[in-house]
Amino acid sequence: MHSPTNNEHHLLAALAAGERTVTGQIYQENYHIINGWLIKNGGSSTDAADLFQEAMVVLFGKAQDKDFRLTCSIGTYLFAISKHLWYKKLQKKGRDPVFLQDNIGNDDEEGGIAWEDDINVHQEREAHYEQLNSALDQVGEPCRSLLRAYYHHDKNMQEIAADFGYTNPDNAKNQKYKCLARLRKLFYNVKT
Amino acid sequence: MSINNKSIWELAEGYLAGSIPQEEFARLKDRLSADAAFASEFYEATDLIRSMEDGGKHKRFRGMLRDIHQEQAVKQQTKKAKLIWFTPQLLRTSAVAASVALIISTITIWTLKPSIKQSESQYYTISRAVTDLKKAQAQQAAQQKQLKLDLDNTKKSSAPVSDVKYTGTGFALSNDGYFVTAYHVIYTKEDGYGDSVYIVNHDGQYYKASLINFNADADVAILKVEKPGFRFGKGELPYTFSANKAGLGAQIFTLGFPKDDIVYSEGYISAKNGFAGNALQYTLELPAGHGQSGSPVIDEKGNVLGLLTAVGSPGEENTYSVSSKAIIDLLETLPDDTSIRLPKSGKLAKMTREQQIDKMEDYTFSVKVYKK
Repeated sequence: MHSPTNNEHHLLAALAAGERTVTGQIYQENYHIINGWLIKNGGSSTDAADLFQEAMVVLFGKAQDKDFRLTCSIGTYLFAISKHLWYKKLQKKGRDPVFLQDNIGNDDEEGGIAWEDDINVHQEREAHYEQLNSALDQVGEPCRSLLRAYYHHDKNMQEIAADFGYTNPDNAKNQKYKCLARLRKLFYNVKT
Repeated sequence: MSINNKSIWELAEGYLAGSIPQEEFARLKDRLSADAAFASEFYEATDLIRSMEDGGKHKRFRGMLRDIHQEQAVKQQTKKAKLIWFTPQLLRTSAVAASVALIISTITIWTLKPSIKQSESQYYTISRAVTDLKKAQAQQAAQQKQLKLDLDNTKKSSAPVSDVKYTGTGFALSNDGYFVTAYHVIYTKEDGYGDSVYIVNHDGQYYKASLINFNADADVAILKVEKPGFRFGKGELPYTFSANKAGLGAQIFTLGFPKDDIVYSEGYISAKNGFAGNALQYTLELPAGHGQSGSPVIDEKGNVLGLLTAVGSPGEENTYSVSSKAIIDLLETLPDDTSIRLPKSGKLAKMTREQQIDKMEDYTFSVKVYKK
């Protein structure tokens, strides 16, 4: 059983907070491993970047839970997730089911299932965000831009008031609430 | 419902941020448990806000990853150009071959042998194309000259007029011409032995070699440069051969010829035994590719631990090396008058990696097998 070091705890917490230096460090230490592996397995460097970034997002998602503990090292986790994502992708293309099973069989079985779970949770969440984004696209201006500025680009109400021409942050805030109400109707199909 | 939209959103936001004053929070809880319609509306609001916040966080994180990737790609561009040696074509073939192999049997190991890679280096490093072409021409000229010399000197009729069939890497066992490479470089099931074997040193000089002895099971072959009075370098070999197996996690590096230029890569011993538990092998975490079969695996102090033989089938990212014990065992089968005395002390132990590589270069070379 892997017992995570303090350092790993620290790294994960920083990753969860989206700290750039730590994320960059994890990226640098692990990307080339996945890239090397994928190139041996019929993928390209572009595939590797997609795959690895997806795995990083999976880990990022998991790390949001403060009680989350890795049962292996960060590197092993990222590698395992990348591998599973790649097999999934191949399977989707209908390329090679035998290939898939053979390799998953090599993994520690429990670990394999846990990784599948993590990927499934991740993909459900991604689908949820996608629905939310398509609702956001239908919400109309200025709501779309305002909500994106606040939630996606992490701007504060002061900046938004200035950017969107509201006389003060409170007015902008009220507008944001109106926009959220509209978004909710679109997203949950609530009738007025 | 007496609560207007504004306050429900404000409440939901405050609730998620944990910024609602205690008294108000208690009232909110009461209301949530008493008023089901309000509760459902309230939780919908918190869900939506939470989703928007998390979605934004993920989006920013993805953006940051892309930036990081871009930055690191720029930083590593030069490094990368040196390390990529597979052509996309080769990759597709190996992917297809992999699936076939996996259907037929359980696990296969890829030998690192075959590669004729003129086109590869041109594909990946466009900036090198011109010089490569020039170099290729120069080498061709040198090669023709060498072949001619060979004809003149030995008056053999079977001089190789054929093309390079396989390339690998070899390294010296003694300064006077004995060297070792992977057996599968010089002999393959499909093609048998080549018509002739040449080594090409880092100056681009070609020397003909002949087989002395081999162990097909261990994948080791000992050859000797034929030219009388030949020397690999100025002095004795700078490295020693480890008779004992090195430990798990030992840092290692290798020099090989996946292309015409010598390429350095490093890694570590990831398992004490090799493919399918083979005790005469190591399993390595080390990037390796075609043309690097026979490359020396060297530890930090300059002991040769083995030679590269194969990489795992796709799905299994390992590289395998034959341990130097197999080389030493094979040496012992040679006649007593053979002039190989493995060095007892090395010169690399206290050097920096760059100095080590510099010393190694004279004793590490490309092995080319010709066949009509």
